[in-house]
Amino acid sequence: MSENPRSDRRAPANAALRQAAPVLALLVLLALASLVPSDLAGAALRIASADRTRAGGMDAAFARLPERALVLVAFDADLGTYAETRPVVRAAIADLRARGARLAIVSFTAEGRALAVAELLRLRRLGAGSDEIADLGFAGAAEAGLIGAISGIVPRAAEGSIAEAIRSRGADLDAFALVLVVSGGDLSVRSWVEQVLPRVPDLPIVAIAPTFLEPELAPYLRTGQLHALLATVPEGLAYVDGVPAADRSRAATVGAMPMLLGLLVALGVMAQSLLAPLMRRSRPDRWRRIG
Amino acid sequence: MRRSLTAGLALATGTILLLDLLILNPSLELVAGGVVELLILLAAAAAVGGAATLAAHHLPDLARDGPDRWGAVMLLGGMGLILVAGLRPGSNGSSDPAVNWLVSALLVPIASSLFALVFLFLLGAIRRGLSIGTREATITVVAASVMVALLLPVGGAPGAALATAAAWMRDVPLAAVFRGLLIGIAILVSVSAARILLGVGSTDD
Repeated sequence: MSENPRSDRRAPANAALRQAAPVLALLVLLALASLVPSDLAGAALRIASADRTRAGGMDAAFARLPERALVLVAFDADLGTYAETRPVVRAAIADLRARGARLAIVSFTAEGRALAVAELLRLRRLGAGSDEIADLGFAGAAEAGLIGAISGIVPRAAEGSIAEAIRSRGADLDAFALVLVVSGGDLSVRSWVEQVLPRVPDLPIVAIAPTFLEPELAPYLRTGQLHALLATVPEGLAYVDGVPAADRSRAATVGAMPMLLGLLVALGVMAQSLLAPLMRRSRPDRWRRIG
Repeated sequence: MRRSLTAGLALATGTILLLDLLILNPSLELVAGGVVELLILLAAAAAVGGAATLAAHHLPDLARDGPDRWGAVMLLGGMGLILVAGLRPGSNGSSDPAVNWLVSALLVPIASSLFALVFLFLLGAIRRGLSIGTREATITVVAASVMVALLLPVGGAPGAALATAAAWMRDVPLAAVFRGLLIGIAILVSVSAARILLGVGSTDD
């Protein structure tokens, strides 16, 4: 029997706390880093790309829109990568609204619909009315739903001036002056190029995508099948910097300081893990002592 | 018999959709539209079937003691909550405000926080992978370290040099491997589809 039952009871809790301490310390450091104002880092830290070619492409595509243009936002981001594209998506929507475009939001994937609902509620809270943004809902079945939407994208229950405007132009994809695809892993803009463009060849498509899709989508930009593409964080933030209507508050964009801290921690762990076997071979006595 | 029926159906639907893509014809468009509608219905039926199977699988856990019981309570409770919000009389279905609130206030934040843990799990996986000491793990981590170093958000001339090197890595070696994979997958899918249609090497009957 133990002499001190209370310390026996505390031992597993202390062990668990010791194990979790590095993770908790990292979370605290990231939280503190995100509180550092971006001006404090100055020119020493910079995420936004200095090359504005792709950001300029998105600007140019939006500038070509006629007045009160109907723009379809195909919202198929996924929960795993949306944190990366969120500031750019929000800036693009703010940019389109500032230019007077009428937006219709539709999703073809379940995760895309969940994120679209969250964004729609945020936009409604910011004062976007039904004459500015329409919810065309969820058209399931991914690519089959996408092909089905080519000839009819407005649900019967959809109401409001934007839904009526789309109906008056045939209720199909030809009604739109532009499609902004918010791409994710489940249904990327590749499906739009492969399935929609052969059927609606004159439809201009622009896309916002996570970095991992860049090698897949870049050729479509070079061939002109995509009118604009923002597919990395630096390109996206270069675009956000040029949008006067974008929300640049600390909570709305990606901070350079937490990004730097996260990358340095990752580098440190990788270097330590790579060097550990070498150290063990060169100083076996010391490693045995450390345990 | 079963094989020839499946192959015949696949051949007919594939040909209709392909011809609709190549030829502008209202009748063909109508038939292709019908096929697509059928596909959408089949996908919806598969989704409902999947959800029903999941519920049936976890229903017996409610009666058993143990950690699975609370998991089953959470899963079935969540499913029930969404179904009630979307199917109750007077509801707007998937666009109902109650469904929207459940999705935006509960589902999205919970799922996003789970994905945020990937960073920590990945670092843990790197440590464990390297402790095993395989050559593949070492090469992967060295390549990842180089990419992470190139992505450091540094300003000025050093930052520009890092960004240029990162863009080259992404546009040349990474893109080459990625496109090679895509082309390989496309060839494999074409060969598999042709084998199914022609009934070569199938063992399903």
